[in-house]
This record gives sequence, structure tokens and C-alpha cells, in this order.
Amino acid sequence: MAVIDRGSALSGLNVAQAMRKLICRLSRGATIQQAIRHTVKYKINAVLIHDERSEAVGVVSKVNILGGYYAGLPITAPVDAIMVSPPLFCRVDDSLDSVLDHMRRARVQRLYVVGEEPRKVIGVLAYADILGMLYKFCHECKHRTLRELEADCPKKVADEFRVGELMTTTFRAHEEDDSLFQIMETMSANRLRTVLIKGRDGLPRGVVTTTDLTLAYLHGVPASTTARSVMSGPARTCAYGERLIEAVKKMIFWDLDSLYVHKEGVADIVGVVTLAEVARVRSGSCRACMISRIDLNE
Amino acid sequence: MGVTARDVMDTDFHTVRPENTIAEAVKAFKQASEQRRQKVFGLMVTDDRGLLVGMLSLYDMLLLMRPKNIHIWGEMRDIDVTGFIEEACRRARAIRVGDVMTEEVVTITPDTHLLMIVDIMIRKHIRRLPVVDGGKVIGIVYTSTIFYELMERLAG
Repeated sequence: MAVIDRGSALSGLNVAQAMRKLICRLSRGATIQQAIRHTVKYKINAVLIHDERSEAVGVVSKVNILGGYYAGLPITAPVDAIMVSPPLFCRVDDSLDSVLDHMRRARVQRLYVVGEEPRKVIGVLAYADILGMLYKFCHECKHRTLRELEADCPKKVADEFRVGELMTTTFRAHEEDDSLFQIMETMSANRLRTVLIKGRDGLPRGVVTTTDLTLAYLHGVPASTTARSVMSGPARTCAYGERLIEAVKKMIFWDLDSLYVHKEGVADIVGVVTLAEVARVRSGSCRACMISRIDLNE
Repeated sequence: MGVTARDVMDTDFHTVRPENTIAEAVKAFKQASEQRRQKVFGLMVTDDRGLLVGMLSLYDMLLLMRPKNIHIWGEMRDIDVTGFIEEACRRARAIRVGDVMTEEVVTITPDTHLLMIVDIMIRKHIRRLPVVDGGKVIGIVYTSTIFYELMERLAG
């Protein structure tokens, strides 16, 4: 699809307008335990690591933390042992278009923002931060695809879409008796942050998320333990034919970024619907701007 | 009038344990506020030996309550979110203090000079400082305490 610059609501925005100034950081001598606490406390997926000169030298993400858990590293080990180095940067005055292109090519979810001094981080820009901005701008944009349809209709057209029209069928399930090792392997192989847990009767029992696993690591739970002991329950679902607006309300109410979708009853899980995809549809984005074509699932 | 932490610290203070739940911590906040007759915005976290292991502050509680995806759905102003706060509170109640507290706590000793305390509070943006002796908490100094102490002196 050609990028249309003129009249596009999102093109022309730069990193400064989308970034977060709150950066969670630790020194390279900090422990994995401290990194886990930071991700849990600030509800983030990654922590920036800096050296003694306060220069950014690496990143520790939940994926890296789970790598340490899988490898049997003690939580007192330094973050140095699991961090990815160097972090990827962008400049505060870079355009969002160019930065998103960089994220896609590098297959990363975030970039750290630098100002005048290279390696002195002043903010962070993540896909998720851009998504809220996407909704806000596209919703007001004159090119919004649903604007004409809604002109004579009191209801929001996007909310009449059904969950089945948006869901993805990419999900994985494990049984309650499977070990956390097996779950971490599945998450790693499929780049997933959540795995559905089923009982022997095939009924969904709960989920295991990356947060559940990092907490298990923090609390000294051996990775050979079964999923049953760390899973969060129940698994939150919506129906295939459910209206989008109802699915959104459920995700907000339960503070989730996705729901499993069932078709012929709760045991028949057929897919996952994400808040990101719902936000995109409800925004009515024309997808002309590159920014509107971001995909958190890439 | 005293000039060190020992002279101005509050020795009647409440603490919580890392294994306490947020619900239990909230009760402790209320009790501490009633006792001090003013709102308390931070509690020290100590282990079973009385050693300081962290601080649970207003900011920590707000971080806990902040919805994970508010930056995405926060712009959807047409969505009815009735009941959301109650559900968020229900989830938060069972969380352990140890999982949300701040572990890196700036402390002072009983002999820390008043003006040094002022400097620390300003540089670190801190409103309360535990007074620690041999790792054990023996008191706490609040910004308000320092303020009133200096006010007395300024009045002459």
C-alpha cells in the first residue's frame, strides 16, 4: 500500500510526541531478582541496564529473564549474565515513520530514546505506546474509514463487528501437569507471552503468562514444577460471535491484552483476540500512514 | 532544640512485612494516619528481625493500581468502565507487599545532621527517611517534621 503523506494524521509525528519519559533502569551489577521486581512493579516487559557512567549498555527483557530461569541461573546472578547488548536507540527528533521501520527490520518491540548525548537515554518508545496514539489520531482523522458509515447511524459501526472476524488462530495450549520447562519452550518457539492451560478433560483451567513465570522464578519455584501450581485462573474467554464492544469491555475489566475465543462451548477454544487489533479496528484507521500499519504481533 | 535525626525522629511508627498483603498494608496505613493525626503516604517494610528491607509508598500503590493497558484503551472514551475500579481493587488486595515495595531505600543514622537531612530530601525527592541503627529501624523523619523544626528556629 502506498504511503500517503499529505493530509495523514499520523505522518509528521516524531518520537518526542509518543515516547515515555519514565525509564526503568538498573546498573549492570544488579541481580536478576532486582530485574524481575522492576518488571512486576512497573508492569513493563524490559529494563534498561547502564554502566557506572550512566550510559546504556544493554536491556533485560522478560524473555531474557525466562532464559535465565530455563538455564537454572540463580536469581542472585548479575543481569550481565542474561542481558542483550547493546540496546537499540533512536533520536528524540526522529519521525515515527522511520522509527517504526527500524523496529520492524530489527524485530524489536522498543527503542530507547537519546537526545544530545548518545547513550544517555531520556525516554523509551514501545509499540504499545504508539497504539494508543494511533487510536486517538485515527479516530479524529477525516480519512477514517468508518466516518461515512457512522454519519447516519447512532451506533458505532466498529462495535458491531464480531470477535470471529478479528481473532488470530495462533495460540498454544498445555496440560496442567506439564512442566514450566515445557511451557517456556513453547513460549520461546512461538514468541508467545501467554499459554492456555487445559485440564485432562480438555476444559480450559487457566493461563500461564510470562509474568506468572517470572514471579515463579522470583519465589524460588523449580522450573520442573507443573503448570497447575503457577497458572492464573480462570482463562478469560469470549464467544466467537460476540460483539467487539463486549470483548473490549471484558479486556478492560480484567486488565488483559487478549482473550481466548471459544466457538462451540467453552472447551472449544479456536483463537485469540487482542486489544491491539480491536483498537485498530475501532480507530477506523485507513492504514495509509505507515504508523497505522504497526502490528504488535510481528 | 536538637540538630540530629535522633532529636527529631518519630519513634512511634508502623511497619509492614514483605509477606503482608496489600489489604493488610492499607489497614496499617489507616492506623498510622490516625495515630499521627495526618495522612501517612509511606510505610517501612521490615523483616522478622526488625531489619529494614523496603518501603511501601503512595507511588508504589498507584503503580499497582495503574491498568496495564490504559495507554491503549484510555483513549476509548465511549466505553463504559463501570465496576472497573472495584475489580482492580479486588485484584490488588491479595498482592504481597514484597512484590511491589521499593527495595532501594535511602536511610540516615541517628547522628545525621538536620541540614544534611534537608539536603538528602531535596536531592533525592524523598519525603520520609528511616533512621537506622545497625540495620534496625529505630525511627523515621518526615519532611513535615523538618519543616516545623526549622519554622520554630526561623521564628526566633
